[in-house]
Amino acid sequence: MNQTEYISIAALNQYAYCPHRCWRMFCAGEFTDNQYTIEGTTLHDRVHTTSDVQRGETWQVRAIWLKSEQYKLIGKSDLIEAEDGQIYPVEYKRGRKGEWDNDELQVCAQALCLEEMTGQPVNTGYIYYAHSHQRQLVEINAELRQSAIATIESVTNLLETGAMPKPVYSKRCQGCSLYSQCLPKATDKVKSYQEVN
Amino acid sequence: MGTLYVTQTDAFIGKVDERLTVKAEQKTIMDIPLIKIEGIVVLGRATISPAVVNELLERHICLTFLTQNGRYLGRLEPEATKNIFVRKAQWQAVGESEPAIHLVRGFVRGKLKNYRHSLLRTQREHPDTDLNNNITRLENAIAPIEKTSSIDSLRGLEGAGSAAYFGCFQQLIKTPEFKFEARKRRPPTDPVNALLSFGYSLLRHDVQSALNIVGFDPYLGYLHVERYGRPSLALDLMEEFRPLIVDAVVLSLINKRSLTLTDFTTEPLSGAVSLTKEGLHTFLRTYQQKKLSSFKHPVMGNKCTYQESFEIQARLLSKYLMNEIDKYPPLVLK
Ligand code: SF4
Repeated sequence: MNQTEYISIAALNQYAYCPHRCWRMFCAGEFTDNQYTIEGTTLHDRVHTTSDVQRGETWQVRAIWLKSEQYKLIGKSDLIEAEDGQIYPVEYKRGRKGEWDNDELQVCAQALCLEEMTGQPVNTGYIYYAHSHQRQLVEINAELRQSAIATIESVTNLLETGAMPKPVYSKRCQGCSLYSQCLPKATDKVKSYQEVN
Repeated sequence: MGTLYVTQTDAFIGKVDERLTVKAEQKTIMDIPLIKIEGIVVLGRATISPAVVNELLERHICLTFLTQNGRYLGRLEPEATKNIFVRKAQWQAVGESEPAIHLVRGFVRGKLKNYRHSLLRTQREHPDTDLNNNITRLENAIAPIEKTSSIDSLRGLEGAGSAAYFGCFQQLIKTPEFKFEARKRRPPTDPVNALLSFGYSLLRHDVQSALNIVGFDPYLGYLHVERYGRPSLALDLMEEFRPLIVDAVVLSLINKRSLTLTDFTTEPLSGAVSLTKEGLHTFLRTYQQKKLSSFKHPVMGNKCTYQESFEIQARLLSKYLMNEIDKYPPLVLK
């Protein structure tokens, strides 16, 4: 089994945020920790200690690998819970609910893996926001599934071809840890630049 | 912080926790957090602990060895980024390709325009100097660049422009004790040439580090021909920065009399001139200050230091080669 054939669930999230960023991180191998990603990692470090506990009626398992042969997906889950025989993923996020819905994609991808691994349908998931200590329900509906599958296809294509999606400046760039590598405004700036004589 | 220069002969560079220490004669002369160090230049001899070597490679910090006189010896190069796409684009452009010609035009134009601006500035500030002749010669070298599409002919224009500039470099020097006749290297046998050569060595360390960070192979260039062990691309990208940084530092040190003839020594027989220890420190301090001084980047429009501009130019270079931008804009400053 060749691990490189699988795509990381995290790559879907990055792709949904910005295809160029996904390319830089997963094709070009660039990764710069900025404050956000470092904070994110520490939170993850805490969540990622494998444990399996019974809390009341809820069964919980933390930090296990999820995988799908059908979609060639792999990723570590923060938390998997089961309640009344219903199993669902919980994804931990630093801060509050963001403006971008890429976290839901990630939860959906985890659900696809879980379905394949357990043979049971997974119709819900949660995102836990560390900042507000709140869980947000994610409905794994047809629409979300479709967009997850489309993203999986795009990322697979990206990894196979290595073709670079052009950077496009948007509001997201402001919080992007790759800003100084990417210089998303350069294309326009160079176009209008007039060299002094 | 930026670059750490170790000038003390037989210094020991070690590591204590997350800090780098430089010791000499049983005394600690420097103690800096590793996180603040972007590059290290060792002048002369130093012992480096294996732990430091490891740490530098892990942290992608370049280490360059120069002789006491500033001649380049070699460097410890951390792994380039995994960005194979940048290197692929770099290799694809090799030879007399469209992009190679475009880039060589940019490097030459950048350098010559910066030469011209520095002559024009001197002319303005010192109305008694007459540089018109040389400025015209420079202009004559700049004008045909855009219509020239053989790299060899572009090298010719670069040579003609540089000759015009160094032909009047003496007039940019405003202290009678320093004389400059012509550009001399290997070894430089007069103080001005010694300073220029030394400065270019330091600049090369900085530019090469920036290229490495971006993922380039510094040994494959377009203006400078490939030769074993020669960092051609670093030499290419250096061109536009030479007048802006090194020449400016050298002229300011001389003209403000921060350096005098007593700061130099001459070797018997070879006649090689080099800086004394104090002179060296003055030079390094000024060079470092210059690198950390900021200006408005003419293309990006934001403030940046010269140090940062090495990486910005390297990124623009990679963007051009990867078809993200349609031209490479050399750093030209007025
Ligand atoms: S800076 Fe903007 S365009 Fe560049 S990778 Fe980040 S989000 Fe994408």
